[in-house]
Amino acid sequence: MDVAASSWAKRWLRVFFALLVAFLYAPIVILAIFSMNSGDISFPLEGFTTEWYRRALTNPHLLGALRRSLVVASFSSVIAVALGVLLAFALLRRRFPGKPAVSALAFSPLVVPYVVFGISLLILFTALDKFLTATMGTYIGLGLHAIVIGHVVVSLPYAILTIMPLLEQLSVTLDEAARDLGADGWSTFRRVTLPLLTPALVSAFLIAFTLSFDEYAIASFLAGTEPTWPVYLFAQLRVPSQLPQLLAVSSIVLVVSLAVVLSAEIGRRVVARKTGIGADTAL
Amino acid sequence: MEAAGGARGLEGRSKERLATAGLLGGPLLWLTLFFVIPVLFVAAYSVGIVHILPMDAGVASFADWRRFLRGDTIYLSLFWKSVRVSLTVSFIVVLLSYPVGYFLALTVRKRKYVLLLLIIAPFLTSYLLRVLAWKVILGDKGVVNSFLVWIGARPADDPISWLLYSQFTVVLVLAYVWVPFVALPIFVSLNNLDRSLLEASSDLGASRWRTFLRITLPLSMPGVVAAFVFVFVPTIGEFVTPLLVGGTRGYLFGNAINDLFTKGLDWQTGSVLAFFLLTVVGILMAVFGRFVRARSVVG
Repeated sequence: MDVAASSWAKRWLRVFFALLVAFLYAPIVILAIFSMNSGDISFPLEGFTTEWYRRALTNPHLLGALRRSLVVASFSSVIAVALGVLLAFALLRRRFPGKPAVSALAFSPLVVPYVVFGISLLILFTALDKFLTATMGTYIGLGLHAIVIGHVVVSLPYAILTIMPLLEQLSVTLDEAARDLGADGWSTFRRVTLPLLTPALVSAFLIAFTLSFDEYAIASFLAGTEPTWPVYLFAQLRVPSQLPQLLAVSSIVLVVSLAVVLSAEIGRRVVARKTGIGADTAL
Repeated sequence: MEAAGGARGLEGRSKERLATAGLLGGPLLWLTLFFVIPVLFVAAYSVGIVHILPMDAGVASFADWRRFLRGDTIYLSLFWKSVRVSLTVSFIVVLLSYPVGYFLALTVRKRKYVLLLLIIAPFLTSYLLRVLAWKVILGDKGVVNSFLVWIGARPADDPISWLLYSQFTVVLVLAYVWVPFVALPIFVSLNNLDRSLLEASSDLGASRWRTFLRITLPLSMPGVVAAFVFVFVPTIGEFVTPLLVGGTRGYLFGNAINDLFTKGLDWQTGSVLAFFLLTVVGILMAVFGRFVRARSVVG
């Protein structure tokens, strides 16, 4: 006898699960369907077309916004992963005073509302510019650099959380063995620890990248005259004629991000199974 | 011998300390410059110590705080509205996720992680696009209404208008967005449950329902509380979803902050609201933090 659920309850749970999956995926599927419809975004469907995709991919403003998002996401995720590795190392392998405070600080961006963080960076940059204008007659302004700075802060906790479990499993004795064989601290890190950490670094990078690529709230305050893809998308929603194009690009972005996320997860498991490290940290 | 050993130890220790400083320096500098200092700026702005815009009063005072906390402005009632919406969303999300977590953790044997990934995957895709999808679906001429007209269930000139731009829509869409996220902590808490406890309970004659109420539910409570906090905290400051699908009736506290900074240009009041929100979240985390292991976010 199954103690968790009767066969009757199991059937209902299965139905509920299926309904929830349908609820989660239906809007995404509908989005994709209407991106290939030749008429309005309403029933009845009129006919199949790839026109919207063609228009979207030849729209310079749209492509510019996508490119900016790629740039921001690349920079911010690389920096976040680099800082994340350092912090994960310090938190796991080092003893130092104030460790709980450092850890709290590093994780607190997880719970700070993005609207608050966005406006606080807006205030910082505006104050800095006011100061620079008054003293040196120059200013930095808002733009992609500001967004990168903000995205690094919010991606950092995710990077640390992705790297830590694997680092925890890498035995310190491996490091010690390398040192006994004559490697100094840096080459131990580069030749032993880093290669073994690669799966975690890749997933940390992908998580940070997708987070940044999609992030609207912080970017909306800091973009200035350089809208990233989410900021551009948001602004264009007011123009009904643009909607089908936006849906087309949205569908591409959704499919690509789903594919990336799933393949990263599968890849991480394959590596974990082969090396035996991190096998039980998958999800 | 002893002296030499001591010297080497000392040298080793200072080397260690240098290495630790090297590890911490970069990240701490970044977080201080771009996270701590900006937040302090908000606090300073809220009491008029910092003023940047020409229309700022330019004098240090707690007047804006007093006005806000006394309820002289609409913002305090707007805050409570946000609290209500967030509580409703968190409740619905936990209610939807619990059966899924239970199903996957306790009744599925094969491929449970694949099925779990199926639930979580949408969360890892674009947040904005998933909200946008609902705007497209629920509009007056949107997918649902045009479908109803098409099949003749509804006259063309009388769409169901409350589908979009209402508080209902904000709750629906926020719940939709956050379900994948909290399925994980609930699943983890149920999956770590010692199954022999359930068997013992059953051996002692308890029904499945009684076992659930007396054993499973209490033991999974930390996961449930964590899930609740995981939804409540990010939705309390939410402004993107209300902006897209909320209309005027779905206007929330986060929208007020956004508008004060981008439209109204009353940064001082905006800073009061922002810092107040931050304080509320800080208190919540101090109270409930022990339930929330940050690690269960990514697993």
